[in-house]
Amino acid sequence: PCRDTARALGSSPASLAPCRIMPVRWSRYNPSYLEPEVKKESYQKPLEELTEEERELMELKAVRPIKAAPPTLSSSVFSDPMISKFTNMMMKSGNKVLARSLMSQTLENIKRKQLEKYHKAPENEKETIECNPYVIFHQALKNCQPIIGLSNITKGGKTYQVPVPLTDNRKRFLAMKWLITECRDNKHRRTMMPEKLSQELLLAFNNEGPVIKRKHVLHKMAEANRAYAHFRWW
Amino acid sequence: TLRLICTTTPVQRKNAGASGPEKYTDAFIKKQIEEFNLGKRHLANMMGEDPETFTQEDIDRAIAYLFPSGLFDEQARPLMKHPNEVFPEQRKIQWGEDGRPFHFLFYTGKQSYYSLMHETYEKLLNVQKHQDQLIAQDLPLQKEKRNLAGSRWLTKIELEEMLVEKVSDDDYSRFIQLLQKLVALPCADIEEKYIQKFSKEVPVQLQKVVIEPLQYDERGVAFSTGEGKRKTASATAVVYDNGTGKITVNGTDILHYFPVLQDREQLLFPFQFLGRIGKHDTVCTVSGGGRSAQAGAIRLATAKALRSFVTEKEVEFMRQAGLLTVDPRVKERKKPGQEGPRRKFTWKKR
Repeated sequence: PCRDTARALGSSPASLAPCRIMPVRWSRYNPSYLEPEVKKESYQKPLEELTEEERELMELKAVRPIKAAPPTLSSSVFSDPMISKFTNMMMKSGNKVLARSLMSQTLENIKRKQLEKYHKAPENEKETIECNPYVIFHQALKNCQPIIGLSNITKGGKTYQVPVPLTDNRKRFLAMKWLITECRDNKHRRTMMPEKLSQELLLAFNNEGPVIKRKHVLHKMAEANRAYAHFRWW
Repeated sequence: TLRLICTTTPVQRKNAGASGPEKYTDAFIKKQIEEFNLGKRHLANMMGEDPETFTQEDIDRAIAYLFPSGLFDEQARPLMKHPNEVFPEQRKIQWGEDGRPFHFLFYTGKQSYYSLMHETYEKLLNVQKHQDQLIAQDLPLQKEKRNLAGSRWLTKIELEEMLVEKVSDDDYSRFIQLLQKLVALPCADIEEKYIQKFSKEVPVQLQKVVIEPLQYDERGVAFSTGEGKRKTASATAVVYDNGTGKITVNGTDILHYFPVLQDREQLLFPFQFLGRIGKHDTVCTVSGGGRSAQAGAIRLATAKALRSFVTEKEVEFMRQAGLLTVDPRVKERKKPGQEGPRRKFTWKKR
């Protein structure tokens, strides 16, 4: 399938940032173009500290052309590939301005709620309360990611739900998709999206809430259908 | 399997020689060459020039003078060129007069490809035998790593030209895998010459671009210009030294011109990457495109202008961060029979 071709075309070392998209369909770039590395810290490391792999990658980068950095990526501390992926998924009809403002309001809401809790808490608990909204976002996403997924396989006329391992990209995508659909569908009509999202993220951060429940349901289904695992041929 | 998916590179030329069956015998081509040389001498005599020093350009000029043609298609006009250029390098007929083919692999259909694979595998076996000998004598195996970054394998089209025969994607990928296996063995230095036939040097990217020196204006302040394009927007930026970090676009401040945070972040990206945020003043002009395209064009222009202020190493870092590449992505065209570039019409059952 397309994913295998993409992986065969160019391997990405484990040291790159998490949200790296591989070109599956045709793209305007020649396949020899490599992905750009935007973070300043990776260029300030002295030569001795690099591992074998990184040295080879550096040599390769000196010879190959590099793609242009997309408009959502920048070297400033405020640009985060995960956050931009989430904003793109929240975006409707190309309205990036609205999606970005919703995202920033969500992060502000999380910060406010956490600060409230921080100021109300007694002295010994103050250190355990996490106030950084980025940390909360990443941890919540991590908690929502399923480990194993189900896929429909038709055998002998009947369609079975077979447990299947998921790639990193797929896990991240499912976690983000569940969060967004949960906020859009199952909440009261009049509440604003930032409020709903911040509530969901805080619950997911503490391993509670409907998204985590959905993940556990999926895991239980996979466990129940363990018998069909041998139907998978890839 | 490795499939070449990208369809937009200019390297996809058709190899006319490899397609189609063999058409010309060796003797035929030789006769054509003799006739061409004779005709060249006659033409030189006709034009009153020296037959010995009659070059191809002179032939073209003479033909254009003697046979003026108003045809639009360049390839339909009268032509006199050396037969090697007119008849594409095709394989001469591969069998003798009794009908018996010359090559022992002729009936496989891809004789040059299979003979190449056999040769390469023979080299691989040689290397393995040498390795076994070294192990038997308890000598250390050479571990000099070949620098893979500076060279690339032949492309499929170049291989086709070399073999004068059509090579399919599958065959090509198998050949490359075999070569990689050969190179991966420790004692592959023995067959270095054979491997070099199939690898090409890739020059270091940075050497291709010329960085302009700084210019100085009337007040003595150093400045440099850069141009950038993105989708339909084109921008020119002038970056001045000893500044306060102000950026002016088409006469207005960026805060008024770009109300969206993302665009302003893009404008500041080159400065933030180099750590020179408060040090330069920029004056830009931009036209065309939308808001994000204009921001991308200005970003490219400022990055190009900043190259003159910065060391070569930092220019290389900028290139690796993707700041100096022109973004080739444009709006995809709409296709007939579809509603948009990818979206098909609603499928109706009847």
